[in-house]
Amino acid sequence: MKYTKLLFLITLPLVASLLYACANTNSIARVHPEAVTGLPNCTECHTDSWGALNHKAPDFYSKHKFYASSKAACASCHQESFCADCHAHKEEIKPSDKFKDLVEHNLPHRGDYLSQHKIDGKINPASCVKCHGRQNNEGCKRCHR
Amino acid sequence: MKINQTNKSWHTLPRILKTAGCLAATGALLSAAPALAETTVFGQSDTIFRMGQSLDKKDLYPVYEYLRLSAVSSEKDGSATSLHIGGWARGDLGDKSARDRDTDADLQYGFISFQGAKNNFLFNAGRQFVVEGVGVQRLDGLYTRNDFAAGFGAAAYVGSPVVTEPNEPNLKADDFIFGGRVTHSINKYYTVGLSALRSFDEDGGVYREEEGLDVWVHPLKQLDITGRSAYNSATNGWMEHAYAVSLIPLDSLRIGADYSYISYQDYFYRVTTSALSYLVGNIDRRENVKTFGGNVDYSPIKNLTLGADFKNYNYDIAKNANYFGGKATYSLPDSFAAGFSVHRMDGNTDKLNFYEYRVYASKKISNLNLTLDFIDLNYDSRINGEKNAYTVAGAASYKFNEKLKIRADVDYSKNPDFENEVKGLLKLTYAFDTQRAAEGRSK
Repeated sequence: MKYTKLLFLITLPLVASLLYACANTNSIARVHPEAVTGLPNCTECHTDSWGALNHKAPDFYSKHKFYASSKAACASCHQESFCADCHAHKEEIKPSDKFKDLVEHNLPHRGDYLSQHKIDGKINPASCVKCHGRQNNEGCKRCHR
Repeated sequence: MKINQTNKSWHTLPRILKTAGCLAATGALLSAAPALAETTVFGQSDTIFRMGQSLDKKDLYPVYEYLRLSAVSSEKDGSATSLHIGGWARGDLGDKSARDRDTDADLQYGFISFQGAKNNFLFNAGRQFVVEGVGVQRLDGLYTRNDFAAGFGAAAYVGSPVVTEPNEPNLKADDFIFGGRVTHSINKYYTVGLSALRSFDEDGGVYREEEGLDVWVHPLKQLDITGRSAYNSATNGWMEHAYAVSLIPLDSLRIGADYSYISYQDYFYRVTTSALSYLVGNIDRRENVKTFGGNVDYSPIKNLTLGADFKNYNYDIAKNANYFGGKATYSLPDSFAAGFSVHRMDGNTDKLNFYEYRVYASKKISNLNLTLDFIDLNYDSRINGEKNAYTVAGAASYKFNEKLKIRADVDYSKNPDFENEVKGLLKLTYAFDTQRAAEGRSK
């Protein structure tokens, strides 16, 4: 058993080194070559898979978690602070600050969410877990003890 | 940094030592860049003043300062070394607004990063947000990824999860986590990923053990399929299946469908709030829900979109619910946007039987941006004596120049919790960049 582990430990970096040496592809551009403003429709320029990142698509908000695994693509237009607006710890109290002057954006928390969260929490509590299951939940204890 | 969050595995190191180590590493990395490297600094300060009253009639006047800073040293070959720091601080001018404290602060992210010129190599060290399959996690630790030959790619991370301390003795948080994801891609057609993570509590016991499959398939320009399945090895059950397909037969027509399955026993296994726990909260561990949804969006003319959507919630224990409706939106880039939507929720309790209306408009006049948003919920039965719950939100922002912007918001609500609620917000945004930054900073 210990020889198997040893073999694995030796083989793994060798295979990794070989694969690395063979890949030799250029990284995604660190900064998008063209300045992008507002909600971009990526299909206007991209005819390949990047066209799927069309931010104007009505389901882009719900699907962006899949595209975000290619974070380098996001980072060519978005700074880290953009992700942190939703995906980092905040004490979000009313009135919300998120995209207030960009009303056409899809968001989970519009309007009076203190009332609305009782409905969303009943209908699909799993939708809360990614952001509030293990973080950003200090506010919950005011009522949920 | 234990201000609001826990990251116990690093507690053995004094904070000053951690800070000094991070600064030394950052300085070394940035100063090691050749003199020819271009260094740019992007920064933003957001000062936010909120005004309102809490449910228990406290006068709340918190002032927040959000500060974000990125310094990037780029090489001519396309590689870059960078430092990213973002955090906030709060001071209450009235009653205590949160956590029973007059002042508070937190580091949202703070990491050094090296991005390679080849193979999308990335190495990050510090507080960061990792998204790799089942691993969607903020952590204090290390992350790396790289593309290999024949379409393979791999990512790995290790560190201390950044979590909120549990509010119940029966709940606990994890202390150490590691995980990774292996992908195979043919850029034109698909990316498939296999991921896994394992985390441990402070006693060394396994806290989370999850494996997952994720797919992004786009064999045609007109077809896009995304999805994932996640398995909980700690409970020996599937936590989640979630798949969505988008079909774009015409530039003006988009059709979507989605399916999801959640097993409450496996999905809500590890949380740090009683609100989402079946151990001490309202979640019924026996429940499973399947959802089926669909949507159609059609643009008869440029800038106008008409849409309809439907979602069915099918529970094992609770009665089923349906949510459906339509919308119309009109937008002229950077000058005007307006929209209207009507939805109906048919559910199993009084709170889940209502009509939902939303009307919004936004108009840009030179450097002035005005928005108005109205959301109304009309319940079939009265909730706390209220049949109609609504919010009107107005905002006005003025952009003095590329660096300086000010915004004022007023929200008015009438709902089952508040008879009349008025809240306000003032926000001052100042950007300090050494060169024009990309659009995608914080909003």
